[in-house]
Amino acid sequence: MEEKLNKIKQEALEIINSSKILDEIEDIRVRILGRKGMLTEILRSLGQLTPELRNTIGKKSNEIKKIIEDALDAKKDELTKSGFSEIASSEWIDVTLNPAVSARERKGGYLHPLSKTQYEIEDILTSMGFQILDGPEAETEYYNFEALNVPKFHPARDMQDTFWTEDGNLLRTHTSAIQIRGMEKMTPPFRIMAPGRVFRYEATDASHEHTFYQVEGMMVGEDISVSHLIYIMEEVLTGIFKKEVKVRLRPGYFPFVEPGFELDFSCLICGGAGCRVCKQSGWIEFLGCGLVHPNTLRAGNIDPDKWSGFAFGMGLNRLIMMQAGINDIRHFMSGDIRFVQQF
Amino acid sequence: MWISLKIIGRMVDISDVTPEAIAERLTMSTAEIEGIEYLNSFFKDIYTAKLVSVEPHPDADKLTLCFADTGKEKVQVVCGAPNHKAGDIVAFATVGTKFNEEFVIKKTKIRGVESNGMFCSLRELGLSDDHSGIHIFPENTPIGKPLSEMFIDWVDVRLNIDNKSITHRPDLWGHIGFAREIAALMGKEFKKPVDSSILSKIAGKDNLKVSIKNPEAAPRYSAMVIKNIKIGESPDWLKSSVSSLGMRPISNIVDITNYVMAEIGEPMHAFDRKKLKGDVITVRFAAKDEKITTLDGRSHNLTMEDIVIADAGGPIALAGVMGGGNSEVEDSTTEIVLEAATFNPVNIRKTAQRFDSRTEAAMRFEKTLSPEITVDALARCYELIKEIIPGAEAVTGLVDDYPVPAKKSVIDITTEYIRRRIGQNLDDNDIIKTLTALQFEVKSEKGNLHITAPFFRSTKDITMKDDIVEEVGRVLGYSNINPAPPFVKCVPPVKNLFRSFERDVKNILTGQFCMTEVSGYSFTSEDMLNSLKINEGKELRLRNPLSIELDRLRRSLIPNIINFIKYNQRFHDNFDIFELGRVYFKDDRESADLVSENFRVAGTVFMKKPETPVFFEAKAIAAGLLEKLRIKKYKLIPATDSLPPYAHPGRSMKIEVEGKDAGLIFEVHPETAQTFEFTGKAAIFDLDLDVLFNAEKNPVKFTELQKYPEVPFEISVVADKKTYSQDILNIVLKSDRNRITEAKVISVYEGAQLPGDKKSVSIKIVFASKEKTLEPSEIDELQKKVISSLNKDGYTLR
Repeated sequence: MEEKLNKIKQEALEIINSSKILDEIEDIRVRILGRKGMLTEILRSLGQLTPELRNTIGKKSNEIKKIIEDALDAKKDELTKSGFSEIASSEWIDVTLNPAVSARERKGGYLHPLSKTQYEIEDILTSMGFQILDGPEAETEYYNFEALNVPKFHPARDMQDTFWTEDGNLLRTHTSAIQIRGMEKMTPPFRIMAPGRVFRYEATDASHEHTFYQVEGMMVGEDISVSHLIYIMEEVLTGIFKKEVKVRLRPGYFPFVEPGFELDFSCLICGGAGCRVCKQSGWIEFLGCGLVHPNTLRAGNIDPDKWSGFAFGMGLNRLIMMQAGINDIRHFMSGDIRFVQQF
Repeated sequence: MWISLKIIGRMVDISDVTPEAIAERLTMSTAEIEGIEYLNSFFKDIYTAKLVSVEPHPDADKLTLCFADTGKEKVQVVCGAPNHKAGDIVAFATVGTKFNEEFVIKKTKIRGVESNGMFCSLRELGLSDDHSGIHIFPENTPIGKPLSEMFIDWVDVRLNIDNKSITHRPDLWGHIGFAREIAALMGKEFKKPVDSSILSKIAGKDNLKVSIKNPEAAPRYSAMVIKNIKIGESPDWLKSSVSSLGMRPISNIVDITNYVMAEIGEPMHAFDRKKLKGDVITVRFAAKDEKITTLDGRSHNLTMEDIVIADAGGPIALAGVMGGGNSEVEDSTTEIVLEAATFNPVNIRKTAQRFDSRTEAAMRFEKTLSPEITVDALARCYELIKEIIPGAEAVTGLVDDYPVPAKKSVIDITTEYIRRRIGQNLDDNDIIKTLTALQFEVKSEKGNLHITAPFFRSTKDITMKDDIVEEVGRVLGYSNINPAPPFVKCVPPVKNLFRSFERDVKNILTGQFCMTEVSGYSFTSEDMLNSLKINEGKELRLRNPLSIELDRLRRSLIPNIINFIKYNQRFHDNFDIFELGRVYFKDDRESADLVSENFRVAGTVFMKKPETPVFFEAKAIAAGLLEKLRIKKYKLIPATDSLPPYAHPGRSMKIEVEGKDAGLIFEVHPETAQTFEFTGKAAIFDLDLDVLFNAEKNPVKFTELQKYPEVPFEISVVADKKTYSQDILNIVLKSDRNRITEAKVISVYEGAQLPGDKKSVSIKIVFASKEKTLEPSEIDELQKKVISSLNKDGYTLR
């Protein structure tokens, strides 16, 4: 019995080692270990043996089974790899050809909703004379916090949990970081806007995402006032929603503005009468804004005695979620085509 | 933070306004109120009732069948409690009483007998842990009285304040601040809850002294000693107040200090006087390697940035964060030292963060409290101790170290400045009245205001003119400001050319090539890089990643694209997606301190069963994009080596723009496809957007249309199988640069009629002249030229 087993082992290993084609391996596996395979047949006859013998032979045959399986796997791996080493030649195509492509049906293409909305807002603000600026996503602590009147160990740091990079910098937590870069570059009066990706050190769930998009806006001039801010915000929101929108300001604390505001807009679902979306208040909390803090202006080399300004920052994801009734912020960065193709 | 309207009511009369109105007014002018919570409002539906009869339940041993007299009616109730008898006065919850969302009393049948309400235990009422039986009131209790009157202390309304919105207002970290705001906003009178003059009448019998060793660590340290303390349970009003603020009642002294912290906004601490070594309390930075065990049992190794309160034996408290275990007030304590101090907010914040101990005290100290409030806090504490512990007696007055008294902020401003910043025509008198109501002292002369801020607003909050603008604006109401367009010079904004280029690219890919834009994280992981065999450890790492899947910044968009293919193939047989985004190179620093960020666009065509290799799909898009972008000098070059491991070595092309590497088009390597379990074929293009943006563009310049006839000429060229047909076309095109206007491959044949290593490439060539119609002889000449050029390079015609 034991001899028979050894013979099968020898035979099986020979077959496996001589195999040269990947597709063969699974056939070989069936031929040896399958329901009617060589080894299986032997094991079937175990019943006729004495219990002691059955035990030793059983053990032995399991060992052999393991050896054969390992050999099969190793061979498979080897053939897969050597297959890949040949592909440069075996799967060579004349890449310089330009055959007709895409006979298949193609639906129209889709911009990501974040791009779409960002472009809409860029266009509205550009039409009002705002220049589009850009800044790095991996930012310095200076531009993201210190120049914005948030020194180290200021309690306001709690408001924005931050990703820190190994080189002592950070991933910008808001597009406001571009305010200072903008001011350094521009001479008042000016209007600038900066859309972009921002990061917060925050675990994700349906309403939290560590990566999202904002649009920053800033206007600096002589005697720029709260009433100008309200005007611009109403125009922007009316442009976004394509119907007349009212805004209201409440006190809000952001260290880089003084006074600082939370801006709400009139609920578009109920028209201000109160509904579930606006939690019966008639207003929807939307963005933070304010008159630029003198310290912020100074950090941008602008004399606060001569110039004043306003700044605002809005979250794009939340805006789109509100417009389209999206209940999970994670869709934006999921890469799921089914999501993007709804816009 | 919770604000109890009951506590507010002790400082300002709010009996004529609803909690909703208060919340609305505060939200519009002071701080965001996130919610209003009615505590124990269901007490109004529970009445005292007398048990008229208590009989056994006909069908259950442990239940009783009771009739209760509510004063208005007699009600039948089945009760399971063991401790009641006829004549008892109990708390009877009527049908409809809503204890909480899940627990509402209904009319029901218990073992076949109707029951119309419930008698309550103290635990059911949320008043204690006692559930041994229902609550029995004293015999002489009137019946028919609602519990909202019987337990009036426990009925309260509290407002949930958004802490973020008061980060800059240290004065609002106590009820006193909100009471002052409400009084100012609603035109009411504010009553200070404490008279600190009581401290000056106390004769000193204890030798306690306090001393601030490092004035930068603590602006002020105030203390007093009180003897004849008896530690015990707090009275109901105090327990309920502490509970409604979200704290657990512990003992009279702890509850009093917590209450005063909530009321005055000054965190308090009590030490056991007898545990102190010596008579001097010092405030100083910790010595190197000093240690303390705090009340929560944790032991901390201190640094020279931590502030400690110490006696002759060493630290007895971690200042501003938590008391020490060695000086803790216990049940046996009879003499206490009360502490009220202010500390350097930066040190407190560092200490609290390092020891992960963001206590209520630390949260307040880090906001820069006014040192002026310590005396009020001590006086208020002493007042409450005397009221609650009869016999308690102060043995010192105020023991104080206050090296540099705080100054009030003084600001000069014109009313015109305020009007200009707000953009609204405000009346001088309204401005002055508003500021006065907020306890600012205002001296005015023809619109010039000389303003002194109250001490509690003078730490960090009010320091400059614009702070005054905010005070006026928020109280007079931002909603009264009319929108107005700004007067500006009418100049067009400078165009951001890169942004519009980026937008062009997206529009071409979506509009022309029907691709779908996706967006992925800027992060990648070691695992992902290893799977793609591109882990060179060059990525910029995060110090505090959310997970190991997202612990470094991407240098390539390929990992996202690969992941998105794997994900989307579950739902679609064919798709085309692209991402445009930034990659980050730490080894290529732009300025001294920042990594360089490059823009790339990567797209893929995925097909479950492509008929022609999917490579050509991606190539068609990439080449089409370059054309559409009018890139002048680009080349697509077959690439077989020095490819990234995820690119198929027989199916890749490099893109060069002006001799610079601009990207790659490739079919995904089968091994990568296997690793990521692709169920179809994918080809990817990955382009450097910065190179494309900076590249020279083809100007729009008209070329005369072809006027004279074009003469086609078709030939089949036999070539080695692995010859690039472009090489053949180039030979053809070069053979006469002027009169050959086009050469393209029509078909490629491989098969039985040719040797195994050969193929036949059929080419269509167009001859034409810009000046005239070609003569037959010229056509003949051109054909010969083409053929001989090909022959010269070793190609034969078929």
